Amino acid sequence: MADYAFSHRHLLGIEGLNRLDIETLLALGDRYVELNRQRIKHADTLAGRTLVNLFFENSTRTQGSFEIAGRRLGADVVTMPIATSSVKKGETLIDTAMTLNAMRPDLLVIRHGSSGAVKLLSRKVDCAVINAGDGTHEHPTQALLDALTIRRRIGDIGGLRIAICGDILHSRVARSNVACLNILGAEVRLIAPRTLIPPGAEAWGAEVFTDMRRGLAGCDVVMMLRLQQERMDGAYLPSAREFFHYWGLDADKLAHAKPDALVLHPGPMNRGVAIESSIADHKTRSLITEQVEMGVAIRMAVLETLAKTAPDPSAAAAQARAPGAGRAGAGASAPAGARPQARTP
Amino acid sequence: MTGRTAIYNARLIDPASGRDERGGIIIEGSVILEAGAGVTRTSPADLKIDARGKALAPGLIDLRVKTGEPGAEHKETLQTASDAAAAGGVTTFVVMPDTDPVIDTVALVDFIKRRADGVAKVKVHPAGGLTLGLQGQRMSEIGLIHEAGAVFFSNGDRPVEDAGVLRRAMSYAASFDALVASRPDTPALSAGSVMNAGAFAARLGLRGAPPEAEWIALERDLMLAETTGVRLLADCISTARSLEALERARRAGVKAACSVASYSLFFNELDIGDYLTYCKVQPPFRSERDRQALIAGLRDGLINAVVSAHDPQPTEDKRLPIADAAYGAVGLETLLPCLLSIAVREDIPLAQALKPVTSGPADLLGLPQGRLAKGAPADLILFDPAAPWACDRDDLSSRSKNSPFDGRRLEGRVLRTWVDGVSVFERGQERD
Repeated sequence: MADYAFSHRHLLGIEGLNRLDIETLLALGDRYVELNRQRIKHADTLAGRTLVNLFFENSTRTQGSFEIAGRRLGADVVTMPIATSSVKKGETLIDTAMTLNAMRPDLLVIRHGSSGAVKLLSRKVDCAVINAGDGTHEHPTQALLDALTIRRRIGDIGGLRIAICGDILHSRVARSNVACLNILGAEVRLIAPRTLIPPGAEAWGAEVFTDMRRGLAGCDVVMMLRLQQERMDGAYLPSAREFFHYWGLDADKLAHAKPDALVLHPGPMNRGVAIESSIADHKTRSLITEQVEMGVAIRMAVLETLAKTAPDPSAAAAQARAPGAGRAGAGASAPAGARPQARTP
Repeated sequence: MTGRTAIYNARLIDPASGRDERGGIIIEGSVILEAGAGVTRTSPADLKIDARGKALAPGLIDLRVKTGEPGAEHKETLQTASDAAAAGGVTTFVVMPDTDPVIDTVALVDFIKRRADGVAKVKVHPAGGLTLGLQGQRMSEIGLIHEAGAVFFSNGDRPVEDAGVLRRAMSYAASFDALVASRPDTPALSAGSVMNAGAFAARLGLRGAPPEAEWIALERDLMLAETTGVRLLADCISTARSLEALERARRAGVKAACSVASYSLFFNELDIGDYLTYCKVQPPFRSERDRQALIAGLRDGLINAVVSAHDPQPTEDKRLPIADAAYGAVGLETLLPCLLSIAVREDIPLAQALKPVTSGPADLLGLPQGRLAKGAPADLILFDPAAPWACDRDDLSSRSKNSPFDGRRLEGRVLRTWVDGVSVFERGQERD
């Protein structure tokens, strides 16, 4: 496994990854969990490399998680203050990308409110791009951290019955998770009112339920999604209380899942609307704080893996002179250049 | 244990099974114990009623009734509406949500049910407002209201104009398999209209509602029902082309039912005559061709429900220049006579003509009544199907008297009405 070459230059989504890609990242994530539990949580894998966080949408936990992940690997981490930046002064997305590219970062973590915007940026820069959430499209590191969380608690994800509940329509987390869990062999269910189920969701490789009790029957894991306040103003849902009555996770509904079913939530939580506090805070069944911990570990794994895969400008120049340059099987991504010293904990 | 009542020597008409035969019914408590030819004068019972050959059928179920309660009790209350219903042979009716306040919360649904339990002789079910305040902007608590007992959702006489709002409301309602009723209308085309658009309206100098106002909205509703998978009741359709559109959609698998106002089967646009404000209704009386198509639809079983579209309006809102007069007609007491008259004149079997006021609406709402079957609620009517009479609005039980049938000759009317085995109406001998 350690020898498997991750061949993607960017991490734009779960789509496009294969099972081995995901398992490679999860295995590395596992090792970083152990490092993170040491007193000294420092590796120098990314020493000398520059990580830029570019969050066009407000985020506390994901941005912080990437910052910590980068610092623990020894990278120079810069978080661009978008709110006061030139973006607000009317600069286009592409111009921002070109400007940043000229600063020669190695890793660029981007969150943007428009689906596809991260991919667009990735075409304009030379460094590795990590999608930290684009519109309602993908949020791959969330899916990976969820998989890591489940795997560490239960073991093999293959064959588990996992329900994803709530605002599927507007959720990038749901899209990435369905893809990821399907690749890992889980039986995925989507539970939501019809207004929050995207058209064609039946074809995602998941069974769709509107009745939460029926949907939860026999589930090993229940993943709740975040529900934004503005969805409950009568357009998609009549009210918060009606949503909680039918689709909020309470003890009564959870009783329809397996007796020891685990509960995940990507945060931030809306207590009393999407999830009852006693469940969110449950000592053994709620994995919500573990998810946050796994988030840092899996992001370290992603950063390291992409940094290793990234072409080394100087080596690329040297290789260009050598015969038989390049690596077969690298797909659409740029060939991995000479590897920097791979130092994993 | 309550006693046993036998009604014998009757003409049994059961639209659910198509049965039309001599026989009788034994009622035990609130349910039908036996219905058929085997029930005779000699059947054991505590009370025996000789039907004297008159017709005995399930009580009518009316899916569209407005009362003024709450908010406009001077027009009609649940009590006066239920009196009118009992006198018309209507044993179950659905109140529309267009009240003041609108029936768009669980509390209002509870209010209607509790109030009806206390004062109504017949069974009353509320319909829930599809959007808050019927404003057509934000959906109501469809799940909770459905659970509280609303039998379907409707925006009443205010069509939801925003297709996005309607689509999401339908989609959400489909989560609960709730029935959504929509009266197809395009206000941009029909606002301010008095009658059907056409040559006659032009000659009278009146603003007309063109039939395409109905067609456009109906096609939209059918498309949204198709993509959302909701069960749709196209409420009060009034034209030939609407029936065709419905048939096409149903053949394509859309879960679409339709209702027709009883007056649409009886009157055409010419009946507005000399600016009769009692004939100002929504949808308006259409062309004779449309009326004939609706009657053919009734004969062929294409109409799921015929409704009274009971809409009481007091004199002060009707005795006005027709452009200023309120829309609406009372109909609870003329629903059965209207259908019986059409059955006689158009030679439609009674069991077929009564289907859209008995088993048809019962099946739409999943109600156990509306059929002469063992174990079904004993909601029954005894009527003389051919007795001629002339409608006089002053004889109506309704608090408002705005009936377009005023002065009309009709055939057939109710003699006696039972709800859950209890006699709630008996016509006085002087009018028998």
